[in-house]
Amino acid sequence: MASEMELVGTEVEAGPEQMIEAENVKKWFGNFQALKGVTTTVKRGEVVVILGPSGSGKSTFIRTINRLERHDDGRIVVDGIELTDDIRNIERVRSEIGMVFQSFNLFPHLTVMDNITLAPRNVRRWPKAKGIEKARALLERVGIPEQADKYPAQLSGGQQQRVAIARALAMEPKIMLFDEPTSALDPEMIKEVLDVMKELARSAMTLIVVTHEIGFAKEVGDRVLFFDEGLLIEEGTPDRFFSNPQNDRTKLFLSQIL
Amino acid sequence: MLSLMSEAAVERKVAPPLWRNIRVLRGFGQAVFVVVVVLAFRELFLNLQFGLDRQGQELNFEFLRQRAGFSIKEGISYNPNQSFVRALQVGLSNTLRVAVVGIVLASIFGLIMGVARLSTNWLIRKIAQVYVEAVRNTPLAVQLVFWYVAVVLALPSGVSGGLSIWNVAFISNRASVIPWVRAEDTFGVWAIFLVIGIAAALAARSWRTRVSERTAQPPRRFLWSLGTFLAIAAVGYVVAGNPVRLDVPKFVDRTYEGGAQLSPEYTALLLALVVYTGAFIAEIVRGSILAVPKGQKEAAEAMGLTPRQQLRLVVLPQALRIAIPPINSQYLNLTKNSSLGLLIGFPEIVSVGRTISNQAGGATQVLLIWMATFLTLSLTISFFMNLLNRAVTRRGERR
Amino acid sequence: MIPGSELPTDLERAPLIIEEERAVEVAPSKVPTTPGEWVRQNLFSSIFNGVVTVLSAAVVLYFGFQLLRWIFVSADWAVVKANLRIYMVGRFPLEEVWRVWASAYLVAFLIGLSWGVSGLRLRWTPRKAALRAVLGVAVLLVLAYLLEGLRIWILTLAIPATVAAGVLLGRAGSRRLRGVVIAGWVLVFPAIIVLLRAFDGVPPQVWGGFMLNVLLAVAATFLSFPVGILLALGRRSTLPIISKFCVGFIELFRGVPLVTLIISGQFILPLMLPPRMQLSLIVRMILVFTIFSSAYVAEIVRGGLQGVHFGQYEAAKAVGLSTTRMMALIILPQALRMTIPAMISHFIGLFKDTSLLAALAITDALRAARRASAQLEFIGDQKEALLAAALLFWVVTFSMSRWSQRLERRLGVGER
Repeated sequence: MASEMELVGTEVEAGPEQMIEAENVKKWFGNFQALKGVTTTVKRGEVVVILGPSGSGKSTFIRTINRLERHDDGRIVVDGIELTDDIRNIERVRSEIGMVFQSFNLFPHLTVMDNITLAPRNVRRWPKAKGIEKARALLERVGIPEQADKYPAQLSGGQQQRVAIARALAMEPKIMLFDEPTSALDPEMIKEVLDVMKELARSAMTLIVVTHEIGFAKEVGDRVLFFDEGLLIEEGTPDRFFSNPQNDRTKLFLSQIL
Repeated sequence: MLSLMSEAAVERKVAPPLWRNIRVLRGFGQAVFVVVVVLAFRELFLNLQFGLDRQGQELNFEFLRQRAGFSIKEGISYNPNQSFVRALQVGLSNTLRVAVVGIVLASIFGLIMGVARLSTNWLIRKIAQVYVEAVRNTPLAVQLVFWYVAVVLALPSGVSGGLSIWNVAFISNRASVIPWVRAEDTFGVWAIFLVIGIAAALAARSWRTRVSERTAQPPRRFLWSLGTFLAIAAVGYVVAGNPVRLDVPKFVDRTYEGGAQLSPEYTALLLALVVYTGAFIAEIVRGSILAVPKGQKEAAEAMGLTPRQQLRLVVLPQALRIAIPPINSQYLNLTKNSSLGLLIGFPEIVSVGRTISNQAGGATQVLLIWMATFLTLSLTISFFMNLLNRAVTRRGERR
Repeated sequence: MIPGSELPTDLERAPLIIEEERAVEVAPSKVPTTPGEWVRQNLFSSIFNGVVTVLSAAVVLYFGFQLLRWIFVSADWAVVKANLRIYMVGRFPLEEVWRVWASAYLVAFLIGLSWGVSGLRLRWTPRKAALRAVLGVAVLLVLAYLLEGLRIWILTLAIPATVAAGVLLGRAGSRRLRGVVIAGWVLVFPAIIVLLRAFDGVPPQVWGGFMLNVLLAVAATFLSFPVGILLALGRRSTLPIISKFCVGFIELFRGVPLVTLIISGQFILPLMLPPRMQLSLIVRMILVFTIFSSAYVAEIVRGGLQGVHFGQYEAAKAVGLSTTRMMALIILPQALRMTIPAMISHFIGLFKDTSLLAALAITDALRAARRASAQLEFIGDQKEALLAAALLFWVVTFSMSRWSQRLERRLGVGER
């Protein structure tokens, strides 16, 4: 047993080239099948953009990656750790994945600073000073260093979402998931959030982004996945995907949003 | 490299260690919980049985067959030679008598006071507010004792007839006597007419609805159905030849004759429950009407509805929907609070039960009976309120 | 259903303030300019309204006059005066009453301190000033009648003085004392128990009067808080057995009248406890009230938990918090904050319910009133005796509910 754990440990250190490996992932909500067998892999440092109409399962899919939803069938391996009912694996995977939500989900009873330092201090057991230092650096990076002592409700939507990004980055994750991060924002605030995301995309971070921002996909995306009715229908590089879609449903979808 | 890793992963999936498997942990946690709870209950139960053994008591309901031996002043027919079971039945009937009448009167009183709280008249508003603030912030037990000792028992002596209200009702410290309606032999005939009347009223209602949908006349459903019902009821009354009689009480030879006699305890308990619960219902009525957002009324106004229609079609249906759940819990509270009759010796089920367990022991069994009674009453009330709620909600959705 | 329009289902234990624009106007929307205008708008806006005003004014004046005459002329308040100590502390031994005074000062000081730290100030409009002046004079008059002897006057007046000292200290310390205040409130209850019992103190059997009503309510609220939170979490748990058990527990104790539990606490509870563990009647009553209260606290907390957006759970999980940490750091702080007004209302309800102790042989304020008016020289003075008890309760509950309303308004516009 001990030797096996060590083996796993060394594997994580070495780091497989495949960051996320999903194989035939299925998910039911009661009688409704949200995912009908999704298979894909995401490479280390890759920026993947997921498109699809609402109810296509794209959000459900990225939520199975950090176990906000439990997949009912198939296999998901994140950075060499398979998501099973093993409680330790779930905790390990979650602390390696940062997530940004459509509705920000900042903790309203905590200041911006406390929002960011909460997880590192309680999960990673960082000392207070280290957490604050890291948080200041992150707030600088997302462009709002002066808001550290405010409460979320005192910030604009765009600022809140940038805090949410900083909060996710504070755990020094290897992967960032974005679930429609700009959908709840007023138009003039979308750019400030996208700018932060683009900067992230150009770093070595692995990104999976569910969004309708085609510009973002074209500019920094390495690969585009198209979901419909619980299936991964088409994938490809942004150039090929947008200029020469193969599937009829993809064409229909693109004609509606472009 | 890739395939090697994947195989290792598959193996791990097959055998995640038990102490880290979420499903195993969940099952294990629940098992531990069950064991702890069972052990705790077992301990309590064994202690109880040991204690009862020492007192020479048994934990069954046999003792309820014994002769009661104590008298109960009011309620359905009963004498001390009957069993404890009968005594409990009397208690239950008294609980029901005070709870049902109390719920009806408290609703009416609370509705009036709630509307008064919203009156445009400053004085009325203030009177209602003083009432609500005074009653809500003092304990019901204190109010009940006050009504009983300081009001009802302080009424003029019953020996001299007490206060007479135009000679049709009497109030004294011995009893409150009110006129009552009694059925004659031919009541059955009239009852048939009444049922027919209700059916005809419903028919008239749906007929008016159709007429109004066809011709765009105002439906006046309520007037039509009421009129239909009254007409048929009147005909039936004549046909059956005075099926009911108004029994007006008289004061003869230092006693009351006829009418319905209410004991001082009943009067005090009813007064206390109605006044107390009425204050809470008034607040619910007021709060529910105020809780309907302004935008709703503005939208109704924009559609050209008259102020009356705005209130009737838009504001009140929504307010009713908001009000039903809290009113339900007030009804439950009133029913539970009827057990305060104990404080003034009103023989409802709790005080009868206490008398029994003082006399023959069996406190545990009596507690179980109380629990069963009140849980049943609560479920019954909630059931009817749920029906009402569903009816209101559905109507709201259809409109 | 319109969001935010739900009323608390249990009004007796939950406050009711709706600070929203209303569909129905309460008062005339035009602001009257002159007294005459005000009278016309508020009292005589129509013929019907005028008639109603005149009639109800006549009734109010008549009964008001009768009431005043009774209070100042016919009523004999000697029954209250002679039994004042029974009302307040029951059969608490005279030479140990200092313990009660000390507890009262402790609480008064904490109230003052919290007030000072909160930074709230009384607002003084001419109307409020007049109202407070009248109230102050009335209180002084009542005290002047009731209290005899310099010693008791000093002891009584020391209470407002302690509050004032607390306020001043609180203002001086301001935010820095916040932790002290919270710790103070958590520790005040055990401290009072120690004060009453330690160093050959007074056993619970002889606690009584209004003090007992307050103590019992505070003890039960305090003790039922953790139990209620656990029950609420259990009820919302995804583990079916635990959830069902909690539902059963909560619904059973909410569905049964408190009186039946009190009686069972008197007769059955002693049998159920281990023979070595014999608790006095009052301690058993604390236990009964705690169990009863925890069922209601659980429902209040559940309401608070439901008010926390599910995104908060997801965000907490996504940053890697374990379930325990998620609850302790993210969910409960938000949920409990929302429940503060309902908790105060629950406390008020529980406080009123403590008068049910009168059903047992315990001298609480209500029983004290009944005993007082049963004394030979005060036969026939039940009204006076009972009204005094009612007033004691009313002063506490009314001021608490007012405070709760203010608090709710503040929480409403706060950082949420």
